[in-house]
This record gives sequence, structure tokens and C-alpha cells, in this order.
Amino acid sequence: MAPMESPIAGILAWIFFCAVFGFITAALYLLTRAASQNTPVPKWRSQHSRVHLLIVLGSGGHTAEMLSMLRRIKLDPAKYTNRTYVVSSGDNFSATKAAEFESTLIDRGAEPQSYNIVTVPRARRVHQSYLTAPFSTIRSFYSCLLVLRGVHPDQQSWPADLFPVPYPDIILTNGPAIAVCIILAARLLRLYHSCLGFLFPQRLYSHPRSVAGAAADGTTPHSGGFRLRTIFVESWARVTTLSLSGKILLPFADRFLVQWPALEDKKALWGSKKAEYVGFLVD
Amino acid sequence: MSCAATSPRMVQKLCFVTVGATASFYLLLEALLDPAFMEALHRYNYTHLLIQYGKDGQALFDEFTANRPFGHPDLHGIAVDGFDFKQTGLDYEMRLAKAKPSENRSSGLVISHAGSGSILAALRFGVPLVVVPNPTLQDNHQEELADVLQQEGYAVWGSYKELSSALERAEALRTRMLTWPPVHGANRKQRLEGVISEEMGYLD
Repeated sequence: MAPMESPIAGILAWIFFCAVFGFITAALYLLTRAASQNTPVPKWRSQHSRVHLLIVLGSGGHTAEMLSMLRRIKLDPAKYTNRTYVVSSGDNFSATKAAEFESTLIDRGAEPQSYNIVTVPRARRVHQSYLTAPFSTIRSFYSCLLVLRGVHPDQQSWPADLFPVPYPDIILTNGPAIAVCIILAARLLRLYHSCLGFLFPQRLYSHPRSVAGAAADGTTPHSGGFRLRTIFVESWARVTTLSLSGKILLPFADRFLVQWPALEDKKALWGSKKAEYVGFLVD
Repeated sequence: MSCAATSPRMVQKLCFVTVGATASFYLLLEALLDPAFMEALHRYNYTHLLIQYGKDGQALFDEFTANRPFGHPDLHGIAVDGFDFKQTGLDYEMRLAKAKPSENRSSGLVISHAGSGSILAALRFGVPLVVVPNPTLQDNHQEELADVLQQEGYAVWGSYKELSSALERAEALRTRMLTWPPVHGANRKQRLEGVISEEMGYLD
């Protein structure tokens, strides 16, 4: 996508951008209204199934906080068998920190090549013109879709018998800009699967099987419906107000956790979603 | 570090300052390189000042040190050193501010911009901490963080305009420092783990 610098092209780009994102947002909005987000996830997964965790890293502070949280929960590589780290282009600090963290997991029994670090383009680089920002945002969003579908060029694919569905099971983020793209992309994929389930109920994409129908290997249901679960942790640096990413994502994330009491029960701009106060998650 | 000039018998007390890597914080650097601040450091028995000054602080720092070799009256006996930034983080420098009797070091101080990465690192090391919000950043949430950390007794909220008074308050903080991370209810440690497990939908 070549950058266009003439004002008319820029305005057209904005109109196009607003139309596309307006449509996606409207679709996601309907989805969030239709499916109550506060209902618990059905119990379908066996205890010892493989889990693919996707972690979104951001600039310095976000990455430091995320790794601090992962250290604190003593992330168990036997439980979270496969891990993907998403970093923004040019952010060598986060990529280095992720690799460093993974090296500590080896001692705790992480399998070789059980993680990926993928780089996605930034939605808007510092000093980039706002006229061209819509294009780079679309590119960034598309790249996030590739990551979630497991087909981004940076990703090694894990054997299909281990992961019949390429989607990560859990997406964990603490609110860098790229988290907006990742979480909206995850909602879009889930919307896609619920539409398929509606149109072709006889296929595997049908309504998730009940507990009784869940296979012992914990790999069903095959739909995206109960994967791509999103957990948004508001930055520890946010004491009384939500970040911009947080304000955008509060209605979309499955769980929205805040670390300071003043943010408890903050409500989204629409819908009934509230922030959950859980205390400090960082160490 | 340029500690050649200090006598080995003298107890080292280091003040480490980080202005951050993402945004520039020229105002803080200017305040640090002020003879009045050096004098205040000397008053509280500091021997070393180590500054992470950021890419755009290089010129100012170099000019300052070129004109004032160790022993210059402006320095009040403080050994000043610095570097622009480090890709790998600042753990080593933070540790230098921690007391270590075997290396003849007493407990020093970290003065940090209000970025959460540096704040958390200093809290983890248990080093007394002064948090200085950057007034040139548009969003004022840094001040809220500095404020609440001071109220709860984890750090001193300092202004770049009044670093000397922050040094004084840091001495008071040193005597009643809280442990980090805070100890709350027994289940708190597993909160995030618990939320992840709920979202996984495990069979019992």
C-alpha cells in the first residue's frame, strides 16, 4: 500500500477507512450485544490438553509489566505448552525480553521450539502522517488476523495433531496500541465462526458440543467459539483513568482487569461491561 | 564508573537517575546537572551520581562533564557519570544503589521518570525511589501514579524543580520502606492464573 500524500487521496482514504472500520465495529457491536459476555465459558476442555497462549507485548513499560505479571504467576510451560509473543515492528526491546523470558522457561521444562515471536507492522509510526495512517492501520489489522490464524510468516506451525485449530486459546494483553488490533481481530474471527455456525449448523462449526460431547483429548469443539478468549489487563500505571486502548476494548475483551481500586466497575461507553478490580498483578 | 578519584575507605552512596528511553526529559537532566543539586547530594552523603540521560541528553551531559572534571567546585565532591540508554535494561545500575557492605556501599537512591518499567524495577530491588513525572507529556496519568505511590508509602513524588527536597524526603522513606510486592490476601497471588483458567473452560 503506497502512501498517498495528496489531501484528496488522504480524505478518500479516511472515508474508506471509516466505512470499513465503521462496518466492522458495528458488526462487533451487534455481536457483543447478542452474546452476553459475562456468562462463564462452558466447561469443555480436559485438564491436560495443550494450550496455546498469545501474549501481546508493547513498548517499554507495557512489556516490562507483562513480563512482571508472567513472572509473578510463574507461568508453567507444562500447562501453557505453546506460546506466541506479538511485538510491533522496530521494538527490539520487547523481542529481546520475550526471548530472555523464554530462556528461563527452558529450566522449567518448556519444550524446544514451543514458542514464536512474531512482528506486526505498527498502526501508526511516530511522526507518520495521519492521512496515511488508515492504510497502515488496515495493514496492521490484517497482519494480526494472520497471526491469529497461525499463518504469519514469522510463525512456525505446530503439528496439526497437537493443534487441530490454529487459533490461540487465550490472548493476554495489557494495552499497547497493537492490542486493539489483536482483540478486534479475535472478535472478528469469532463472529465469522458464529455466522458459519448459524448458516451451516450441520458442520463442525455448529454450536459447541456439550460437556458430554467433548472429546477426551480436549480438542473439541472445533469452532473458534471457545478459543480466542481475550483477557485485557489495564496497565498498572493507570490509577484513576482508563487508557485509550482500555476505553476502546472494554466492551470487546472477555475479561477486563484493573489493578487500582479507583478503576473498579468503570463502565464501557456502551453495554453493561464493567472493569474487574483484582489488585496488583505485577511483581 | 569513574570512581578512581574516591578513596577506597569512603563509603559509597550512589544516586542513580533514569530519564527513560521513550520520551525525552530534558528538564530533569538540566535540574540534575545543577551545582545546587550536587550540593544537596553532598549534604546527604552521596558520593556518586550516575545518570541514564537518553539519546538527546548526550550533548548537554558531555558539555557539563567536559567543563567540570572530578574535583571541580561545582561538583561538591560528587563523581558524575552517565550513559544514553541500555537495550538490556537497568537492573545492574539499580543494584548499585542497593546497600552492599562487602563492597563498601551504603543504601543509595533511584530517581526515575514515571514509567512503570523503571518504577517496578526499583521497587523490586527495594531501593528508595523518587518518581519524577514528566510535565511535557500530555497525559497526566504519570502524576496520578506518583501521587498514589507517595500516599501509600512506596516512593517519593518528586518534582524536577525541587529535587533537593525530594532527597530529604527520600531519607525519611529509607527508614520505613514497604516491602514489594505488597502482601495481600492469600489468594491474590493467583488472581490472574484464576482468570485465565476460568476463560479456558476446564472440565472439573
